Amino acid sequence: MKISVLGRNARWLDALALLAVSATLWFAFGWQLLVKELPCPLCLLQRVAFIMVGIGLLMNLRFGNRPLHQGIVVLSALAGVVASARQVLLHIAPGDPGFGSPFLGLHFYTWALLIFLALLVYCGLMLMSDAAGSDTAPRKLTPLARYAALVFLAILVVNVVSTTLECGLGPCPDNPTRYQWLP
Amino acid sequence: MIMMLPFVTSLLSAWFAWRGRRDASIGWWFVTLAIYIAWCFYHMTSSLNISL
Repeated sequence: MKISVLGRNARWLDALALLAVSATLWFAFGWQLLVKELPCPLCLLQRVAFIMVGIGLLMNLRFGNRPLHQGIVVLSALAGVVASARQVLLHIAPGDPGFGSPFLGLHFYTWALLIFLALLVYCGLMLMSDAAGSDTAPRKLTPLARYAALVFLAILVVNVVSTTLECGLGPCPDNPTRYQWLP
Repeated sequence: MIMMLPFVTSLLSAWFAWRGRRDASIGWWFVTLAIYIAWCFYHMTSSLNISL
């Protein structure tokens, strides 16, 4: 397979990547509601990093594939690697139960680290495909891109509300057990 | 430290991208990144109980 195939399919690949990022955020929020485990500050920072990655992908969909947008994805994913790797190291000692319940044998921050690394690989491959142009005018979204963007915007609003209810207008405790703005 | 602040600024960035305003979107993404770095210093500067 020639690498330029990726470039020719960049629009729907970026839409799928944005859907994957949104699905990660929706899954974390669903877990928060169903298992009743509130996200810690480092977990919330990882969510912010996923959102920043999503913004770069959304820009690719809206304005075309540009190195600046890929740079946003790379820096955002690196920010996520910092937060998730820090949390992995916090709980790496033998006998440490980790934070929260594991999913398929791994804690959420370990999954986050793997997903951020996968996003970096994806971004590297897209840059290698040399698909970037120079036009930055807004373009009409395809139905799949429009759906991905709406799903992404929805989970952003949900996260703003959820984090405000959990932390209020201040810092979050290291091990949150209740929503500060809910009785 | 306002934990929900980067969520608000990232929402603004995504909203401007959706509305086709690229420069505003990039500007709010940088604001989010700056807050993210500040929050990392707040939460990640204690020493780890491991040898590196």
